[in-house]
Amino acid sequence: MKGLGVIYDGLIKRNPTFVLILGMCPTLGTTSTAITGLSMGLATLLVLVCSNAAISMLKNFIPDKVRIPAFIVVIASFVTIVQMVMQAWFPSLYSALGIFIPLIVVNCILLGRAEAFASKNPVGLSVCDGIGIGLGFTCALTAIGIVRELLGTGAVFGCQLYSADFGALLFVLAPGAFIVLGLLLALFNRLIIKK
Amino acid sequence: MLSYLAIIFSAILVNNIVFAQFLGICPFIGVSKNLDSAFGMGMAVTFVMVVATAVTWLLQHYVLLPLGVGYIQTIAFILVIAVLVQMLEIVMKKSSPGLYAALGVFLPLITTNCAVLGVAIIVAQKNFDFLYSVVYALATALGFALALALFAGIRTQLELSDVPASMRGVPVALLTAGILAMAFMGFSGITIG
Amino acid sequence: MKSTLANMMLSLTALTALAGTALGVVNILTAEPIEKASKRARSEALEAVLPTFDNDIISAAVECADGSVVYPAKLGAQDVGAAVETFSDNGFSGRINVLVGFGADGVITGYRVLAHSETPGLGAKAADWFDVEPHDIKGRSDALAVRQDGGDVDAITGATITSRAFLEAVNKAGAEYSNYKNTKR
Repeated sequence: MKGLGVIYDGLIKRNPTFVLILGMCPTLGTTSTAITGLSMGLATLLVLVCSNAAISMLKNFIPDKVRIPAFIVVIASFVTIVQMVMQAWFPSLYSALGIFIPLIVVNCILLGRAEAFASKNPVGLSVCDGIGIGLGFTCALTAIGIVRELLGTGAVFGCQLYSADFGALLFVLAPGAFIVLGLLLALFNRLIIKK
Repeated sequence: MLSYLAIIFSAILVNNIVFAQFLGICPFIGVSKNLDSAFGMGMAVTFVMVVATAVTWLLQHYVLLPLGVGYIQTIAFILVIAVLVQMLEIVMKKSSPGLYAALGVFLPLITTNCAVLGVAIIVAQKNFDFLYSVVYALATALGFALALALFAGIRTQLELSDVPASMRGVPVALLTAGILAMAFMGFSGITIG
Repeated sequence: MKSTLANMMLSLTALTALAGTALGVVNILTAEPIEKASKRARSEALEAVLPTFDNDIISAAVECADGSVVYPAKLGAQDVGAAVETFSDNGFSGRINVLVGFGADGVITGYRVLAHSETPGLGAKAADWFDVEPHDIKGRSDALAVRQDGGDVDAITGATITSRAFLEAVNKAGAEYSNYKNTKR
């Protein structure tokens, strides 16, 4: 049951995008459509769960002073594995996400969770934390993707809801990413962190 | 010569790393509250990005590719960047305390700045030659510094204005960045040479 | 755990050795599917732009001097045309790579935009704009130009520069194809 609480925390109370404001680059760079946002979120979720589990298992064998380089090696290995698997079986997704796949390595969320949670907690809880934070990140990216795709092209997940001629192209382009994230962040502040 | 001018222009204005490529957003939001620290961060990133790109280029072309282990690129690059940043910090502390006082606090943050790893990977993917890569890295970093300085200037003004409670801080900063990105879009399509 | 030089070196060496081995294994496992996936993408594009063919078109490919590639298509022993992969550097945001299919008589049978970095919603529309009426370029065999340049092809709304670059690449593909036919004779 403690595991469920940890997942809930990651999803809402410590949502990496809306509360901790981490991992901004993929959040802005891969959300021009709902599907790319969702897949980026899932790729990050997968790496996060694996790296949290591995770091939690290895925590008693890693000397304190070299823990950061050790964490980076673990994270980078899982990122490379995900990268190769995507290239082999999901080539179109791989080319759509492009450079943001290898850049999962420097996503502060992963190193942050390794340092703050996985290196201090047992394997089961660390996996739950990975799932929670990963899901929180995935939901946030998908939400931004849905809003940008809908406003920009009139479609959601590629299904046309109204004619693309009425879409405001701005939202698919770079400025739209900043603007939508800013507005969603304000909305999240208003609804959830309301004092 | 003209082609180098073209990359410099394109990397600073047309394909600005922050506004068009979405790299290095974390420091862009985090270290832009005042002009002094923005300037320091910009200079530190410029320094690290040029050195890191040069070193990773040599690593890619003289070690990874000849050995046929291109697939460990990500892990090798990030470790090299981490080691490099650490070494720069030590060397700077010993040899030029003035520079260290100015840039030192930003150095540890740069390891996880995705712009540095991003440029190293872009340069490897696009197969640029050595000189071209270094010039590209320098220009990209200057573009980053420019974005950071512009944004810091606007944010100091923003501090003084009356913003609705839920928009305060990062949300309004992001909206401002969106408007700046729109301004930078005006440069797109311009080519030299 | 307390850090000593020995255990720091030992643990980092063990960890990198482990990571290296794991990556090596995954690399061997995925090498073949990655190769297959990129081949499949290429042959799907070729099938889409060309009339029916049955030769091993990828191994028959001929590279030209400027980096363009001609893929000659055959049905049995008969030539049914060729696809030409080429590019233009004059796009709104740099290079546009296209694959253009030609019938044996030199008319365009189809095209694919393989890679580009044009603006989404404007220049990026080139992917299907020239494939549908009234701006269809299929069935043409002459040099193409947009209306603004005195031709008869409608440019993409709001993306004349992209359209110009796209047609430049298509014309170049046509030239490469007739070059190829002449040298073969």
